[in-house]
Amino acid sequence: MAALDRTDEATTTVQSRPRIPSGDNSVWADASPLLHAACQDLQEGDLIHGDNFNLFAAMSALEIMDPKMDSGMASTYYSLDEAIENGAAPVPISTDKTTDVRCIIDIMDHLLACEATWHKGHSLAQTVYSCLYLLQPERTSSHALLHSYCQVIRATCKAVLSVVSDSRTHEEEDLFIMAYGLPLSRDGNERCTAMLNAVEETICRQLRACKASSSKRRVSEDIEPLQNNPDLEEGYCKALLCRLRFRKHFYHLLMSMKRPQGAGLELAREHIASCISEIDHIRKSADFLRANAPEMSEQNITTTASGCQPIGFDASLNSRLSAPTPPRSIKIFCWEKALEYFVKLLHDLDIICSYSLNPSLEAALLFVVKFQKSQPDLVSRAHLQLLLVQNGKLFGRYPMFSMISRAAGLPEVAENHDIQKNEFMVQLEQMVINLLKIICTNAAWQRRKLGKMLQDWRVTFVQLELAFKKEFGNTSNNENISFKIYQHILVWVEEQTYWIAFRFLIVGFELELYSVHDYCMVYWYIYIVLINLAEKKHLRMAMSSGAGKKKSKKKRDSLKDAGVNYQISAPVKFLQSQIYLAEGLAMMLAALRNEGRIVPPQSPFSTEHEIFIQQFELLLKACLPDGISYLTYKESTANANFSTLVMCDYFKEAQKIAKELKSSFPNDPDMIAELKRIEQVAERNNIALNVICRLGTPDPSVKISFTLCHHPFFATAIVKRS
Amino acid sequence: MEQEAEQLVPVQQGSSDCSESDRVSRVRKLLFRRMLVGIKDGRFFLGSFYCIDKQGNIILQDTVEYRSTRRSSPSPMEQRCIGLILIPSPCRTSCHVDCSIDEQLSLLGLK
Repeated sequence: MAALDRTDEATTTVQSRPRIPSGDNSVWADASPLLHAACQDLQEGDLIHGDNFNLFAAMSALEIMDPKMDSGMASTYYSLDEAIENGAAPVPISTDKTTDVRCIIDIMDHLLACEATWHKGHSLAQTVYSCLYLLQPERTSSHALLHSYCQVIRATCKAVLSVVSDSRTHEEEDLFIMAYGLPLSRDGNERCTAMLNAVEETICRQLRACKASSSKRRVSEDIEPLQNNPDLEEGYCKALLCRLRFRKHFYHLLMSMKRPQGAGLELAREHIASCISEIDHIRKSADFLRANAPEMSEQNITTTASGCQPIGFDASLNSRLSAPTPPRSIKIFCWEKALEYFVKLLHDLDIICSYSLNPSLEAALLFVVKFQKSQPDLVSRAHLQLLLVQNGKLFGRYPMFSMISRAAGLPEVAENHDIQKNEFMVQLEQMVINLLKIICTNAAWQRRKLGKMLQDWRVTFVQLELAFKKEFGNTSNNENISFKIYQHILVWVEEQTYWIAFRFLIVGFELELYSVHDYCMVYWYIYIVLINLAEKKHLRMAMSSGAGKKKSKKKRDSLKDAGVNYQISAPVKFLQSQIYLAEGLAMMLAALRNEGRIVPPQSPFSTEHEIFIQQFELLLKACLPDGISYLTYKESTANANFSTLVMCDYFKEAQKIAKELKSSFPNDPDMIAELKRIEQVAERNNIALNVICRLGTPDPSVKISFTLCHHPFFATAIVKRS
Repeated sequence: MEQEAEQLVPVQQGSSDCSESDRVSRVRKLLFRRMLVGIKDGRFFLGSFYCIDKQGNIILQDTVEYRSTRRSSPSPMEQRCIGLILIPSPCRTSCHVDCSIDEQLSLLGLK
C-alpha cells in the first residue's frame, strides 16, 4: 500500500516537474531508488560528501519543514491571490452593513496592536502587513471607509519607517526597517488625508442625523445611515470617528515633526493633544463594542476592543518576505497594551516638541540624557535625533562650530573665524554630531559606541594640541583670537571627553553590567573621571569668565577647598558632591573588603585584575586619565579601613554640598530632584557607615548589601542583622 | 572553530576504497550535480548535491525554492534563493538528478 502511494506521488511529481527545466541535452533522472539503496550500504554516522565538505558550514544549513527555520512552509494559503480568492479578505467584509462596520472596527483595532508591535522592533511584514487589505491597495477602492483607513496606515508606516531609517537609531531592532516587497504608500500625502477627511465628514453627518432623529426634533436630512440598526448608529459612528481622527492627527503629527529646523513642533503638539484625547475616546468605545459583539465570539481575542477575531489577517503569507532572517514567532500586543504604548509614544514626542531649541550644545546634551531616563522607544528616539542634527547643524539652524565655540566659552567673534576650516576642527564638528546621534540610541548600543568614540576624542585632542603648538610655539600671545580659540576649545574637548567617559560608566548601571563585587572599582573609576571632569569644567568656566589662571593644574584638594582661590561655580560644586559620594562609596567598599566584611567570590574565570581590564579597557586605551592602571586602583584602596573612613566624612561632605546647592538652581526642578537624591543617598550611607563602625569586629550575623533604589547609579548600603 | 569542526568529521574521502559498495560510489559520482528534490508540501528545491547521510537526509547548496502559488494544479510557480539547506529524509517525496540520457541508465540503473 505504501509502495502504491509512493508511485502515485511520483506520477504527480513527474507531471509538475517539466516546468523546472533540466539542462540542455539532459533529463531529470529519478535518483530515489539509488539513494535509498546506497543509504542501506552506509554505516551509521557515515556521510557521502565531496572534498570541499565542511561540517561546520553544513550545520548552518536551513532545515526544511522546521517551523523555526523554514519560512517557506506552506500554511493555510499558498499565496495572497489564493487567500483572496478563497474569501479571506472580502470587500465589503459583509453585505450586512452593521456587520461590515463592526468588522472594520476590529480590523482597525488589530492594526493598531500590530503597529505597536512593529514599533517595538518586529518585522513590518509580519505585523502591520499581515493585513491582507494592505497588500493590494487597489482592492479596497470601492469601500471608502476601509480604503481611506488602509491608505493612511500605509502612509503612516512609510513616514515612521523613513524617520527611523534616516536616523539609523535602530541597530538593535534591525527588523524594523525591513520593508522589502511591501506596498508602502505611493500616493501623495494630500490624497491620503483628503480621502480620510471626506470619510470623517460623512460619518459626522451620519452621527448628527442619527442624533437629530432620535431626539425627534425634525426629520433628518436625506442621509443614508452608517448601518442598519438605528439603536447602534450613534455608538458605531462614535467608535469609527475617534479611530479615524486618531489616525488623521497621528499622521499630521508625523508630518509636522518632519518639517525642517523644528518649524512644525508647535503644530505637532496640538496634534499630540488631539491624538491623546482620541485615544481616550477609543478606550471608552470598548464597552459599547464588547456589548454588541456577536454571541459566539467568546474567544477572548485580546487585540481588538470587541474581543472578536479580526478578519483579513494572515502573518504566514508574508513570512517569506522577512528573509534572510528565519521566521520568528511574534506575539502581537494586546489592544490595551497597544493603546498604552501609543500614549507613551505621544508623551515622549511631546517632550521632544516642547524643547525650546536652545542654541546650546550643553543644554541639548543634557536634554537628551534627561529624555533617555524615561526609556523612550525607538520611534521617539529617532525623531529626537533627526531634530537634533539636520544638515550638519544643531536643529538645522546653528552651525556646529559656532555651537562648539559657544560651549567653549568663546566670544561671538570666534564663531565665524577661519579656524573652523582647520581639518581637526572639521573632525571635531563631526565628532560632536556623532555624539549627539549616539546618545539618542538605546542604552546598549549607546554604551558600546561611547566607549569606542573615547579614543577618537582623545586622538583629536592630541592633534589639536599639536596644531596649536605648531602655530604658536611657546609664546603666550594672549591677544590673538586664534590663540584663544585653540586654548578654549582644547579645554572644552577634554571636558567633553570626560563627560563621555562618565556617561559610559553610568550607562553600565542601567544595563546592569556591574556586579556588587565590581562596585568598588567602578566607583573608584567614576571618582577619578569626575575629578578630571570637574577640573576641566572649572578651568573652562574660569577661562570664559576671564578670571581663570591659564593652565593651572588644580587637583582635587584645591577644588574641594571651595573659594580659597576663586569662586567655584554651582555646576562644578554639583560635580564635587558626586565626587565625594563616589569616593566615599569606593572607600567604604574597599574597607568592607579589606576588613573581611564582604568576601568577594573566588571566581574560576576572572581575577580582579582581569575584571578591571574588562570593565575599563576602553577608558584605559584612551588614557582617561593618563597613568591610571590596576596598580593605582589597588594602591589607593589597599589601606582603606573603617577607623580612618569615619574621619574623612565623604558622605557628610556630599550631603552638605547637595543641601547648599539647592538654592543655586531655583528654576530647575530636575536638578533639585537630583540633589535631593544625592543628599538622601549620602545620608543613608553615612548612617550605614556609622552603624558598621559601631559594630566593631566583623559579625557574621550582620549582612551588608547595596541597592540602587534611591539613585540610578549611586548605591545605598543596607545593614541588616539576620 | 571551523578547523575544529572539520577535524571532527571522520575522513570519508578515503573510504572510496575497495570496502565501498558500488551503489555508494555511484551516489558519490552524483555529488555537485544539479539535484531536484520534491517535498511533501508540494515545494521543489533545486540545488547542487552536497551531502547525504545514512538516514537519507540531503544537503543541497545554492538552492532555489520553487513553490506553487495555488493549491489547485496546474498553478504558476514562484521561486526564491535560499542557499544551503537540509532536507530531512521523511519529508522528501522525490529526488531527481540532471544527467544526459546515456548516463541515465548507467548511473541510476539498479541491478
